[in-house]
Amino acid sequence: MSTTAEPEPYSIGVAMKRKEDPRFIRGRGNYLDDHSLPGMLHLALVHSPYPHARIVKIDKTAALAVPGVVAVLTGEDLAAHNLAWIPTFHGYDKQMVLCVGKALYQYQEVAGVIATSRDAAHDGAELVDVQYEPLQPVIDPFVSLTDKTLVREDREAKTNHIYHWEVGKRDETDAALAKADVHINERIVFQRCHPAPLEPCGVIADMNPGTGRLTLILTSQAPHAHRTVVSLVTGIPEDKIRIISPDLGGGFGNKVPVYAGYVVAAAASVVLGVPVKWVETRTENLTCTGFARDYHMDVEIGATSDGKVTALKVKTVADHGAFDAAADPTKYPAGLFGIVTGSYDFPTAFTELDAYFTNKAPGGVAYRCSFRVTEASYAIERAMDILASRLKLDPSELRLKNFVRKDQFPYPSPLGFVYDSGDYHTTLKKALNKIGYAELRKEQAEKRARGELMGIGISTFTEAVGAGPSKHFDIMGIKMFDSAEIRVHPTGSAILRAGTKSQGQGHETTWAQIAAEELGLDPQNILVEEGDTDTAPYGLGTYASRSTPVAGAAIAMAARRIREKARIIAAHLLEAPVDDVEWSKHAFNVVGIPDKSITMQQAAFAAYTNPAPDSEPGLEATFYYDPPNLTFPYGAYVAVVDVDQETGFVKVRRFLAIDDCGTVINPMIVEGQIHGGLTEGFAIAFMQEIVYDENGNNLNTNFTDYLVPTSLESPSWETDSTCTPSPHHPIGAKGVGESPNVGSPAAFVNAVMDALSPLGIEHIDMPLTREKVWTAIQAARK
Amino acid sequence: MNLNYSGQETIAASHDKVWSFINDPASIASCMPDVLESTVIDPHTFDATVQVAVGPVRGKFKFHVKLDPQPGEKRLNMTIGGGGFGSVVDLTAGADISTEGDTTTLDWTGVASMRGPVATVGGRVLDAQAKRVITTTFANVKAKLTEAA
Repeated sequence: MSTTAEPEPYSIGVAMKRKEDPRFIRGRGNYLDDHSLPGMLHLALVHSPYPHARIVKIDKTAALAVPGVVAVLTGEDLAAHNLAWIPTFHGYDKQMVLCVGKALYQYQEVAGVIATSRDAAHDGAELVDVQYEPLQPVIDPFVSLTDKTLVREDREAKTNHIYHWEVGKRDETDAALAKADVHINERIVFQRCHPAPLEPCGVIADMNPGTGRLTLILTSQAPHAHRTVVSLVTGIPEDKIRIISPDLGGGFGNKVPVYAGYVVAAAASVVLGVPVKWVETRTENLTCTGFARDYHMDVEIGATSDGKVTALKVKTVADHGAFDAAADPTKYPAGLFGIVTGSYDFPTAFTELDAYFTNKAPGGVAYRCSFRVTEASYAIERAMDILASRLKLDPSELRLKNFVRKDQFPYPSPLGFVYDSGDYHTTLKKALNKIGYAELRKEQAEKRARGELMGIGISTFTEAVGAGPSKHFDIMGIKMFDSAEIRVHPTGSAILRAGTKSQGQGHETTWAQIAAEELGLDPQNILVEEGDTDTAPYGLGTYASRSTPVAGAAIAMAARRIREKARIIAAHLLEAPVDDVEWSKHAFNVVGIPDKSITMQQAAFAAYTNPAPDSEPGLEATFYYDPPNLTFPYGAYVAVVDVDQETGFVKVRRFLAIDDCGTVINPMIVEGQIHGGLTEGFAIAFMQEIVYDENGNNLNTNFTDYLVPTSLESPSWETDSTCTPSPHHPIGAKGVGESPNVGSPAAFVNAVMDALSPLGIEHIDMPLTREKVWTAIQAARK
Repeated sequence: MNLNYSGQETIAASHDKVWSFINDPASIASCMPDVLESTVIDPHTFDATVQVAVGPVRGKFKFHVKLDPQPGEKRLNMTIGGGGFGSVVDLTAGADISTEGDTTTLDWTGVASMRGPVATVGGRVLDAQAKRVITTTFANVKAKLTEAA
């Protein structure tokens, strides 16, 4: 028996190197396309060149003549198996797997070709002869709302309008706006963009005729939810379906929905009795799979003449594409857009949203953000800067004047959230001091005197993440809890399984650190497994910054259950009453006798070799965590830019991100998350947009037209933090992976608008390409 | 994506000669560049398989060409529809014919509508490529009629 308990080398708050990285940097990651099964066939998809067209005829003859082509499947073939349509994750709509009757957006999947090699499948796909009768496409949501052309003839309601959603007090808000000394009203568009993970989506469907089990090796952020959907759609019992989500090369919300390739591959495998693989191309990823944003927001703020906000009203038109496939919680069709009051204490607010079908790809996924939080944060942070400009107040001063105060938490927002904790004044002041705000303003004044364009942009966002409490949140009826299962082995190492699925977030490390902290074990000896529905407990997966707020809590709670049982064992070993045994410094000891202790390793060994009387052998626990509330991470970001007025080039000179995500589990991983999110926010602000021309052509179908910044284009990031733990989370953590993507676009745009303000330019919609900035400068000079 | 083109060719040949040439599917097909194969369907219609290389889009496009002469208006209208590997191209073109002495002038216009991968590259290289095809076609018409003269 040990007489001392050394603190474990790693625990919460330690910048431990990532456990998963040795295999990744050695090329030993195991991604979908690394898998190959004996006898495997390949699927390639045929896509519609038209955004809106009737399918007149599909001739498979030439494709079937290609050597190696085994079968060609169409929507009619799937209809024979009742697989022509599947429900969307939103639950209120359905989507075609392969076109039946009409193609509703360009690149929609029309047919699938199964062949013995990927090349043969693609050769066959080129020869599937589809005759179309082109129809007038609806590309603009503001044209869609006129209902002159109907996108969805299959629906009972003969309108392109999908739903209306509203929250807040309309009359009170209108009255407050009417009375306001100052009233701004600005159309702010968050453009259609795409998560574009470096690894596209794919599947290997393997129906084993011997066992009757269908295994899907699938690029999935939510394997259990996908298993349930597959079972509901196909009628195959859930025990006969296994989803394995292997290493994922990014997801960012793109790997949440169910895509045509998954269903066609599965159907082909079921029919043919052999594995069928589908790996999408980059073009397929950008044109067919879940896009993000596409919100057109009219933002109104009322304020007193001295800069105190009195009311907020936001009216949004949302372009959902051809199907309502946004994977939002059932009660929240517009996601958590109600966070649009942000960090500010609005006495009253109202927001409403109308969503429309268009002949564009479906989606509306939470691209590195909690559901629609990025759109909301961008709208309020841009609008606050516009208000500051009208009031001739410094944007930092306006924010400090209107922040929710620290003593107001838990803060009930006018749009229905209860913010858990925050200290916005401290975080912004830290950011202003750290970046040298006063000096930068002085430098800006000097530059302006010389005719140079320099800008400073602030964004002080608040997120709502960690969906969510079961009383409010579900996806297709499944409550949004999450889960963890921990088994401590006799020799004191452990295996931890969770219902989440890392796509690069470092769960193998951070989950081990949480368990290590709670159990006093070495995190290097805690194996973390996710993504296999045969072994992991049921969970809703990883997206919307929910993993640490929900599964992270489940891990801590499962570990505490283990600790409670280990306490009984420790009492048995210490020959003391259980109530006299306490957990202190990662070991058990009798209260008042700290020099005689039992480590978790010792308790674990005893659990299998010398169990306590009347105690069940073994040492394991499972916990399904239903969070009592969302968490509300926030941050204060400052961007400094120089704008070249001759070329429109924006040089991001400095960018400081102060994040407050509550308790930090691994500061190195958090910093990495922030770097990645800032880079994606930078891309959205300056270069990324999915554009459709007047004929419905998607003009951003590859990485030469949809730009992803490399280290050469990306600014150098400065990061720091404040810590306001969540009072309701077991370890006080709030989630951070998406904060930088949520908060940064407004900081970039605010900085550019600040630079352009001497020219009288108040707002330009993203992306702020050189052409757009240059054109605005030229127009302002005329 | 819609692309608009226009141009003028002055040919040292009579109106009748030019009119007869451009109303002959086989003659027109012989003037289009990069034609691998052409089949005349009827006196006003032919199919052509064309080698296309536009940026990353490379391969064979199949086109159905329909000539619609309007002798009263001294005009030839033409529709070209087709495509390949997931792309669709529709071209509506027309030429007004006028004669002065021994020379005949073709004033032509065309509107091309494109969908699919070929539309994506349109802004950069397709425009130049399409222009090349159209100008080469009319230049070849001129050359063949001049040779014949």
